[in-house]
Amino acid sequence: MSTQTSSPWKSLIGLPENIWRSIFRNPLPSSDLGRVSTSFTNFFLHLHPVKVHRHSLKATFTLGLGLVSFFLFFILVVTGILLMFYYVPSTSQAYDRMLDLRGTVAFGIFLRNMHRWAAHGMVAAVFLHMCRVFLTGSYKPPREFNWVLGVFLLLVTLFMSFTGYLLPWDQLAFWAITVGTSIASYAPLVGKQMKFILLGDTTVGQEALLRFYVLHVAVLPALMGLLIAIHFWRIRKDGGLSRPEEEDALPPDNPTQVEVLQGPAVVMATSPAAAAAAAPLIPKRHYGIQGLVRGPFTKIGNVPDRSVFAWPNLFMAELVVFLVTVSGVLLVSLFFNAPLEEPVNVMHPPNPAKAPWYFLGLQEQVSYSAFWGGVGIPTIEVLLLLLAPYFDRKIAGVGRWFARERLLANFLFLTFVIVNVVLIVIGTFFRGPNWEFVSPW
Amino acid sequence: MKSKEKPMIEESADGMTRRRLLSWLSGFGLFGSFIITVFSNLIFIKPRATYGQPNRFSIGKPEDFPPGARVSLDERRVCIVRDGDKIAAISTTCTHLGCIVSVSETGFACPCHGSRYDQDGNVTGGPAPRALPWYQARLAPNGEIEVDKDTEIEAGSYLRV
Repeated sequence: MSTQTSSPWKSLIGLPENIWRSIFRNPLPSSDLGRVSTSFTNFFLHLHPVKVHRHSLKATFTLGLGLVSFFLFFILVVTGILLMFYYVPSTSQAYDRMLDLRGTVAFGIFLRNMHRWAAHGMVAAVFLHMCRVFLTGSYKPPREFNWVLGVFLLLVTLFMSFTGYLLPWDQLAFWAITVGTSIASYAPLVGKQMKFILLGDTTVGQEALLRFYVLHVAVLPALMGLLIAIHFWRIRKDGGLSRPEEEDALPPDNPTQVEVLQGPAVVMATSPAAAAAAAPLIPKRHYGIQGLVRGPFTKIGNVPDRSVFAWPNLFMAELVVFLVTVSGVLLVSLFFNAPLEEPVNVMHPPNPAKAPWYFLGLQEQVSYSAFWGGVGIPTIEVLLLLLAPYFDRKIAGVGRWFARERLLANFLFLTFVIVNVVLIVIGTFFRGPNWEFVSPW
Repeated sequence: MKSKEKPMIEESADGMTRRRLLSWLSGFGLFGSFIITVFSNLIFIKPRATYGQPNRFSIGKPEDFPPGARVSLDERRVCIVRDGDKIAAISTTCTHLGCIVSVSETGFACPCHGSRYDQDGNVTGGPAPRALPWYQARLAPNGEIEVDKDTEIEAGSYLRV
């Protein structure tokens, strides 16, 4: 615009529009090319594919669990940063700050509730997401490594939750961490050292609180962010979400050509005038950097298939999942307060001293044998999860729930899930003082 | 290795070129630096001094513990046992998962996972893998009993007062 006139008055009149256009290069898309450009040129949208397969948008296939996990992490980062403004990782102050969140800080209790419930929700969502990926056979080649990353994400999620558990410095926190770090000390060779480094002392105290705080607010979130980034990137590089082979064989439902010539703007056009001046695009050609790299990518351009444009189909789906997740967390936080027990009393462990629900399966195992329940079996389970895609390599039944071809694999996995759920239920409802069996009725 | 008037990469008898050797050496250097970095970080985060409870402390004069007493010093995590003129310090940290065991009729009981010990700290039930350790107790020059939690002694060895 500035090339056409040098009058300050005209610049002033054009200012709002020029600023707007310098930020958003494309108007709201009204054509296919516009939809492509919008996905491609917007920073927040460009990590999505331009087109996405219809099957990936089926709510009954994904259940949106990966997105739910990510949005819960997002909520946790936001509420966590806000809580950091008032929290002090000191044994003499931490508990008082919890009380302050209840009493004096505006929205303090609400933020703490959101943080606590989103954390519980994230553990559940990540685990269910893993179940979805397994039961639909989505970990098979070429997605093996993304499954491995996913297992690490589950572990980091659990460790995040574990480190956050100590921070309120109440009885629950103290004794859960005392028990948890003792479990770590049963690891062969390095166990004792690991416990000492984790706690910074021989028992849980000020050093441990500081260390857990640093892990919880800096080290682990950074690690989690990095892993999430690679996890998302790999989805694209592995060819999108898994889908059954039949889906690709079905007749395309959008046989029409992309309306390239009618497009209002090419990718880098900064104004309608520039767009009009741009050379007409050649319909047969593929545009974009994706044409330069090889691999199983989502196709763009006028290749007939069963894919739809990410704008608005994928973005609307994501928005819906986001809104559902946020409103779920808000609702739960309105009606249920995060628990806070008595301040730490080093002399008197509560009886029974129970970990958070997702660790109660582990605690139940530990009550039989500290080494096998706390270290041996969990290590074997994690190794089996990590190696599953490298043992089960037959490409059959991918992209469908409970495929008949995968009966054995699904049976084994469901056994693993059910055993763990049963252990958690026993630990939660059937264990009383001295970890003796009690009936909840 | 050839002298520098030969600009082309030339293979020596064992197939080692200058470029290859240098790549190996720099790769080794980089990898070595990485290992050193990891280890120095580990050394850094392992504290050299701790700020919590000292492991060697005085618990008072022998007269504070009448014969037959079983006094659990929860903050120190030891139980002082006096039997006649014999005194011993038994750990009250459960050998299972580190909870504090409480003194019971029959010895010690852990509230966390139900481990039970007899009067001497031997395991009588529950998931505990080992007996409660006994710590060295000695008479300091000022007449007070000093317990050293860094030194474990054989169960049944008492300090005579």
